[in-house]
Amino acid sequence: MFDHGQPSYADVNKDIISTMLETGPKYWTLLGITVSVAGICFFMPWFYQLIVGVGAAGMNRNAVWGSYLSNFIFWIGLSHSGTLLSAVLHITNSPWRKAIYRSAEAMTLFSLMTAAMFVMVHLGRVWFVHWSFPIPNQMGLWPNFRSPLMFDVMAITTYLTASSIFIYMGSVPDFAAVRDASTGLRRRLYTIFSFGWRGTAREWHTLGWAYTFFAVFVIPLAVSVHSIVSWDFALSAVPGFHHTIFAPYFVTGAIYSGTAGIVTVMYCLRKFLNFERYIGQVHLDSLGKLLITLSLIWTYINILELFSTWYGGTSFELEALSFKLTGFYAPLYWEMLLFCAFVPLLMLFKKIRWSWNKMLVISILINIGMLTERFIIVATSQPRKFLPGAFGYYVPSWIEFSITVGSFAIFATLFLIFIKWVPAISLYEVKETLRPLRRDA
Amino acid sequence: MSTIVEKLRQYSKPGYYDKFDYHWTMTIDLDRCTGCEACVVACQAENNLPIVGEERFAENREIKWIRIERYWEGEYPDIKMGFIPMLCQQCDDAPCETACPVYATYHNQDGLNTQIYNRCIGTRTCAVYCPYEVRYFNWFTYTWDEPLEQQLNPDVTVREKGVMEKCTFCIQRIRIAKDNAKDDNRRRVRDGEVVPACVQSCPTEALVFGNSNDPEAKVSKMMKSPRGYKVLEELHTTPSIVYLTKVQS
Amino acid sequence: MAAIAGPAINKMSKISRRDLLQFIGAGGVGVAGGILYGEGVQRNVEFLIPQVVPPEDYSPGVATWYNTVCNQCSAGCGISVRIREGKAKKIEGNPVHPVSQGRLCARGQAGLNVLYNPDRIRTPLQNAAQRGSGNYAEISWDEALTTLGSRIGRLKIEGKAGRVRLLTGRTRGHLDELFAQFMGLLGSEHYQQYDFTYPAAIRAANRISFGVDQLPYYDIKHADFLLSFGADYLGTWLSPVHHSLAYGHLRQGRQGRRGKTVQIEPRMSLSGAAADEWIAARPGTEGLLALGIAHALVNAGNYLGSDRDEWSIALEAYSPSTVSAETDVSEESIVRLATEFSAPGTSLAIAGGATAAGTNAVASVVAVNALNYLAGNLGQRGGVIFNSDPAFSATAGSRQAGLRGMLDLVEAMEAGDVEVLLVHDTNPVYALPENVRFRRAMENVPLIVALSSFHDETTAMADFILPTNTYLESWGDDVPDPGVGFPVASISQPVVAKLYDTLAVGDIILLLARRIGGELPIRLHWATMEEFIKERWREEYELRSAAGEDQDFEAFWRASLEAGVWGQPGAATGDESVPSSSSMIASITDPVSKFAGSESDYPFVLHPYLTATFTDGRGANLPWLQELPDPMTSVVYGSWAELNPVTADELGIREGDILEVESPAGSIRVPALIFPAIRPGVIAIPIGQGHSAYGRYASDRGVNPIHIVATQVDDQSGDLAWAATRVRIKRTGERLRIIKTDGVTRTLGRQILGPKNDHA
Repeated sequence: MFDHGQPSYADVNKDIISTMLETGPKYWTLLGITVSVAGICFFMPWFYQLIVGVGAAGMNRNAVWGSYLSNFIFWIGLSHSGTLLSAVLHITNSPWRKAIYRSAEAMTLFSLMTAAMFVMVHLGRVWFVHWSFPIPNQMGLWPNFRSPLMFDVMAITTYLTASSIFIYMGSVPDFAAVRDASTGLRRRLYTIFSFGWRGTAREWHTLGWAYTFFAVFVIPLAVSVHSIVSWDFALSAVPGFHHTIFAPYFVTGAIYSGTAGIVTVMYCLRKFLNFERYIGQVHLDSLGKLLITLSLIWTYINILELFSTWYGGTSFELEALSFKLTGFYAPLYWEMLLFCAFVPLLMLFKKIRWSWNKMLVISILINIGMLTERFIIVATSQPRKFLPGAFGYYVPSWIEFSITVGSFAIFATLFLIFIKWVPAISLYEVKETLRPLRRDA
Repeated sequence: MSTIVEKLRQYSKPGYYDKFDYHWTMTIDLDRCTGCEACVVACQAENNLPIVGEERFAENREIKWIRIERYWEGEYPDIKMGFIPMLCQQCDDAPCETACPVYATYHNQDGLNTQIYNRCIGTRTCAVYCPYEVRYFNWFTYTWDEPLEQQLNPDVTVREKGVMEKCTFCIQRIRIAKDNAKDDNRRRVRDGEVVPACVQSCPTEALVFGNSNDPEAKVSKMMKSPRGYKVLEELHTTPSIVYLTKVQS
Repeated sequence: MAAIAGPAINKMSKISRRDLLQFIGAGGVGVAGGILYGEGVQRNVEFLIPQVVPPEDYSPGVATWYNTVCNQCSAGCGISVRIREGKAKKIEGNPVHPVSQGRLCARGQAGLNVLYNPDRIRTPLQNAAQRGSGNYAEISWDEALTTLGSRIGRLKIEGKAGRVRLLTGRTRGHLDELFAQFMGLLGSEHYQQYDFTYPAAIRAANRISFGVDQLPYYDIKHADFLLSFGADYLGTWLSPVHHSLAYGHLRQGRQGRRGKTVQIEPRMSLSGAAADEWIAARPGTEGLLALGIAHALVNAGNYLGSDRDEWSIALEAYSPSTVSAETDVSEESIVRLATEFSAPGTSLAIAGGATAAGTNAVASVVAVNALNYLAGNLGQRGGVIFNSDPAFSATAGSRQAGLRGMLDLVEAMEAGDVEVLLVHDTNPVYALPENVRFRRAMENVPLIVALSSFHDETTAMADFILPTNTYLESWGDDVPDPGVGFPVASISQPVVAKLYDTLAVGDIILLLARRIGGELPIRLHWATMEEFIKERWREEYELRSAAGEDQDFEAFWRASLEAGVWGQPGAATGDESVPSSSSMIASITDPVSKFAGSESDYPFVLHPYLTATFTDGRGANLPWLQELPDPMTSVVYGSWAELNPVTADELGIREGDILEVESPAGSIRVPALIFPAIRPGVIAIPIGQGHSAYGRYASDRGVNPIHIVATQVDDQSGDLAWAATRVRIKRTGERLRIIKTDGVTRTLGRQILGPKNDHA
């Protein structure tokens, strides 16, 4: 399980908690970069857009939805493997999950937050975004519960809440460990965070029970979230959106990109926080196998989508199909197929699956492919709707590119802050995987 | 308690499923339409549509509540042109209405698909869902070069950035007609009393507007024409606009 | 402190779990009851009611409607302007006016853009630097009028009043009379008009064929078969709104009877798109085609006149087979058209557009007139109805200079014979070929005065610009030309208070007369244009009161003002006598167009065409019209050159390739647009753009094809033959994105134009 020999319990505490307590200049530099990139690439263009109007972006009459929405789906998708994977693996008792699930769950949380930012950026009048929540008001106005966007608001807030509770609950014993290892203000803070955790058998029992309960609860929620996101599209009559396969398609895509995201995050944790002892080849190999499976399912659904479009045979569907395969955005479509359907097949070779560097490249390519997949869904369908007279195309503006780049910086910033506040690897669950200590060891 | 029961009944049966006084309907006779676009300017004048400028046109961000679409048929020399005015079809089963998360677009009792600018938060979902692409988004806040703003119709709101807008069947004119009817103690507006700007201007009288709940209205008679059809009928949006197809000789 | 708090805490601690549960239970029931009660008694919540549905007590303001006359083109439609709080809000057709009948075209409605145009000239201006530099200093009216008055007055005293010239656009009604009187009293006979769109050829042809010097009423409304030779009657020809109304009636206005229309033109216009049959005859041969049809008609025995044989002889040279070879229209088509044209029911042939703008323009229209004669359409319902004498001011159009008159003017200016040039409502620098060198000739004129609401290419040469009221701020009257078959006159009144320090043209002339002195102020004694118009109408009223007007004049005046129009629908139409056949036979000449440029050097025919929005370029400064997609191509903001797809393919030209279009007279650079309904070998370029100084919306946008038209005169009318120029095209290698609103212009088999039109 461990590449460099088994650590002791004390080692585990020391290794992991030290990453939180000792902050070097490298960390501050990195944080400084991500914060400024987020500020310059995301917030400044966004404020500019708030002042002049959404027209600052490239969307037009032919495509009123653009990259903001495709990025939103991308980030929601990326959120998937965290909590979902963690929960599934918890229930199926997969021991290899334990080293990775904390950061995976954090990824969920932060991608959801980033996704929520894109909703804000997308809206024409974001200053009224609260109207989409059922807040009682003197006019007696309620949101429209028939709207798939309303479903979205509900699903995402529920998912965000559940994911937050899930990650927090799993972290309580670790907060206690941090409390015990620290002094001063930090100690007092973690005393509060840890809810007075003492590690009694009863507490462990309750935690185990609650955790499993939440794991079961979160799985359908995760599936529902992306299904509902897909309904934003599938419930319209737009050719290219109107597919019954969309819900499983989105969910698969989400898990797929999320799993690839985990590989990327794992690599970074290993590299920068020196977690080699805890994140090992086993994890990589398992994730690789999972990725191949997901890639095959994803490819299958894609073929199915093309087939059913072709089989539909109406002028609307065929036009949407030909535009996707040969139109303005066709290069992006083929790029997506290359990165998401063909490149992952390389992982069939164990040599590749076992190489951290190669897996990093593949995981990043998969996510680039998935980012374009979402863009293609949004951008190729709308300009080819029903009336040929209104056909057109849409090209993102530099503001959209900038905000897309900035969103990664926001995500990175949140993650960097996270690793200083929460143990990035679950202390107690790693300890569970250690062989029982023998007196002579 | 009885009020609660009443309320429940009301909730389970939203108002617009009832048959009300009016169901505003338009017929467009393509055999008369010459594509002259008088209606387009009439609408622009009546409804305070912005002058967006060349750059916005280049970006495909124009705002024209009514537009003429043109479709060629055949090749030179046997070539024909078909014009079709395209405006909000005021669908009875409007895809846009279910899309809006905040009820900024809803169905009113006259069968109109109304857009409430104040309530719109700019998700643009309605525009995606609309098969007729007649919803126009305010990508910017448009201004008028002084003194062009003096022309703005005081009965119609000027829209700001981030808001969706579309044809209202000149709801302000409907209001005025209803107001006049009320003042005259008439229960209903007379046929022909409400004339949207596009219908009013049409030099070939291709557009006819009226209340199709009134079997005597001109529009009700026009609707019965064997040439009548609805655009993209197969999507079952049940539009309130009936087109009369051009006679092919 | 602790002692006091102690017992309380003790007491609290005595609450048992059961009590607590009871409290919670009771509390819960209470809250639930409260909510239910609250829901029950709550006032009914209204639906969200924002501006789109104002609440019941909201009373929309009351608008005032004023009737006046549209001045956007020469049709003379009556309009109603909606006024709220002293501002004009909307223009609609005047329902009682016989020309517009409540309808109005895009251009007429954009009249508000004229009134509220940000580029209007707001004060009198005097040139402050070199001519044409655009540097003007603001001066007062008094200063301007005094300077001009003394300058012209001196010329008059010196007996050189003939060196004063007045050039206007298409002035009609009593303003025209005022101009004429003013110039007459001054002692100058040089009062001319130049309007690019004036149908001089039709007028000349009617004089030749029918001996009637007027534009007759073409009764499209009641025609069963309409044969149009190049006349875009729905877009630009004579009276588009009126024709559109008639067209609607022709198609669907009669139970069980749908009129048929055929359009003959090299490039499909709006009327071509509406037609059942569109025939692209070889450019310049449309008149020939008319004679071919006439030949077939006579030969088929469908002409029943006694002089059938004479007609046969006269038309002998135009057998369908000969004509077919010349016109590139099949023999069968010619014969079929002849049959349909003479079939029972009413038929009507009209000519205009490029057909009436070749070097053979008049001959072509004469041929079409002959066709109408042979089918017995003259004076018939659904045919050509001659107008009675207009209500007043019969001079409409007779002062049109045409190209010949303008060449004379240029010559005079170049010779230094023109001392003062007064220009109003016309833009010859724009609307004449560059070869005419109007602008250069203007440099020889010591004093140019422009009476205009806007800066344009011609006013840019002016030393003084006297800002005029727009037509929505002016008094005036008008007689529509062509008329509607009975006497009609419209009154134009100011619908809003004037916006700036401007004056109505008539008022300027009256004021100027006072400054010039002599007998002018005595004869032109009216204080204002309003007074002048009213007095003239009083005279007309008195003249006609014998004919049965039973009100007093004031009542009549008020009623006329309110209605905006006065007419005598019952009055007899014009001359119903059918013109003599022999003179018609004699009038027929070979309608062959001479194109400038040889076919080998210049393989393409240039087809400049008027658009319904800009016509001769006047509409280009109106933002609503710039933003109105061209009806046939959906292009906005710019010019383009239309090519047949096959031609474009052969030359490897794609949409947006900038072409250099070169004629013997000059060249322009314009992006190509592939247009499926244009004859191969023809390049069509819309007229109207390409202004160099016409305000922010029009300037430096597109090209002006009139500038490269060769200076050829149609001999019989003296007008510019603007459709008789050949060009060659060259790809420059540069590209420009043509801005248009259309995506794909094929239905792709979708049910859009109706179930029966399901075509791919």
